[in-house]
Amino acid sequence: MKLSFEGVEVKLGGREILTGATMQSHEGKMVGIIGANGSGKSTLVKTVFGIVHYHGGNILLDGKNIRSFSPKELASRIGYVGQDQSVAFDFSVRDVVGMGLFARKNVKNGKALVNEALESLGIERFADRSIQKLSGGERKMAFIARALVQGSDMFIMDEPTNHLDIHHQLFVMDYLKNCGKTTLIVIHDLRLAAHYCDYLYMLADGKVYAEGAPIDVLTQENVEHVFRIGGYAGKTKKGVLDFYIFEEESEGDIHKHTN
Amino acid sequence: MNNRTWHLFLYIFLVVLMLFSLIYTVSIGATDLPFEEVYEVLIDHVFHSDARLNAGDFEMSHFKIIWQIRLPRTLFALFVGAGLSLCGAAMQALVLNPIADPYVLGVSSGASAGAAIALLAPIAFLEGQHQTTAFAFIGAMCSAFAVYILAKRAGGGKLQPVTLLLSGTAVNAVMSAITSYLVFKARSPEGIAAVYNWQMGAISAAQWRTLSIPAVIVTLGLVVFTVMGSRFNMIMMGDDDAAAMGLRVRLFRSVMFVVCSIVVGSLVSITGIIGFVGLVVPHVVRLFSRTSDNKVIMPMSALFGASYIMWADAFARSAHGAAELPLGIVTSFIGAPFFMYLMIKNGYGGSKG
Repeated sequence: MKLSFEGVEVKLGGREILTGATMQSHEGKMVGIIGANGSGKSTLVKTVFGIVHYHGGNILLDGKNIRSFSPKELASRIGYVGQDQSVAFDFSVRDVVGMGLFARKNVKNGKALVNEALESLGIERFADRSIQKLSGGERKMAFIARALVQGSDMFIMDEPTNHLDIHHQLFVMDYLKNCGKTTLIVIHDLRLAAHYCDYLYMLADGKVYAEGAPIDVLTQENVEHVFRIGGYAGKTKKGVLDFYIFEEESEGDIHKHTN
Repeated sequence: MNNRTWHLFLYIFLVVLMLFSLIYTVSIGATDLPFEEVYEVLIDHVFHSDARLNAGDFEMSHFKIIWQIRLPRTLFALFVGAGLSLCGAAMQALVLNPIADPYVLGVSSGASAGAAIALLAPIAFLEGQHQTTAFAFIGAMCSAFAVYILAKRAGGGKLQPVTLLLSGTAVNAVMSAITSYLVFKARSPEGIAAVYNWQMGAISAAQWRTLSIPAVIVTLGLVVFTVMGSRFNMIMMGDDDAAAMGLRVRLFRSVMFVVCSIVVGSLVSITGIIGFVGLVVPHVVRLFSRTSDNKVIMPMSALFGASYIMWADAFARSAHGAAELPLGIVTSFIGAPFFMYLMIKNGYGGSKG
């Protein structure tokens, strides 16, 4: 399954948010979208579901215009977890996760699917608690379980590690990385982006400023241009990719971890 | 006890409560009749084609009170309670606000304006009461339509919770102004009193022949809302999530808005304003059923709301002797403090999460 954005343009309230963003999902891989606040990352993924409308360009799913799919067809192909986690009503976690079943055709074993999703995210212990009484992180896990129940081959996640403690950040990233689905994630944490993503798109001024493997995208020049800080991705002694930022006054010889 | 068993228990309880209330509240009124007599008269009339009545076991006047006056009225109370409660649950989901009530649509004020025109204008198209009902219904539909168009315009083509609430408020203000202006210009004190009375809400006008339309509409509403239960659940998670889960959010909200307007409009045009029912009942039901699942909340709200209004109306017609208390006053006296309690308990001023 392949999702591609071709020169997508979005205007919101007269302001140009996206001015021609072009990117693709990569089969079975994790693709990260990074960029400064307000660069249009969330807006871009919202166009997929018609939550935000695009005025120019094209979005194609397996070569077909995304709007030719019904919302339900789309939900059966792509599971989405947005940033907003507020819930005005008191549902149990099980109820919320079960809502994902709507995307499926002829659900016979709904209960089993829900249990399976709860277990694979390790959240069966609070399955019967109220979603409103969970912490932000627990809620996030519940929403990911809901997306999982939709049974799609692709995930789009808008800041999946937001609200999570470091243990669960790594748990969720490992989970998404190893679930075998084609994944598109919006991510702020450049360390996690460097560490987990197979491919990165860096947004600036409403379009893709740089793309490629994390080590090629998170260069000192790109990071300085987009985030106006000194930093770059580099390999640790063990050969793992990590992201470093400079101390304020220094020129790069001393480096320090983010977070 | 797990939720499923608990819900089954609640359903049985609510159905029994409703049937009991239906018969018991018929015995309450200016002339108090024993419960047993009511029960026997009804059984006799329905199953034995008046055998005992003809044999002189019951007084004819009692039969008339029970069958021709109280039963249609009580049945009407049942449908009014069920309908308002259902639409309350639906509106709360559609505007994403657990303390919304069906009147946020502007339907009630529109109906008031329509009724005021019918009661005060010196024109007669239809006989007496029918004119008021017809005009009130037209008023209700006009204001619901205005709210719909306004909310859509303000929301940039989308029907969104916030703009829907604001449009409701704006249209309510206009409709109330129309009603006030008509009252201000009116010459006859009787007319003014009639408008005022109408607004206080009452179901005393119920008759067998006026019962069928609300009964059919409320029943259809119950079926539609219950079948759409899981979609209502999805929209309660917010528009973005609902869309991503596969719901056609705009279409759903528009269609359900129309259904809601028709159900509430058809009731309010006959009864006048009976406040706080649609707000309170779904809340109580969510509290006791320990779920927000609309597949459960919709039918339970209808059942509980039905019993609630049957009792409220029984109280309204018996508490003040021969002079009936308007039902709208009773429901507001019960509902408003409950609303205040909910506000404080849930702390709606704070964060939504």
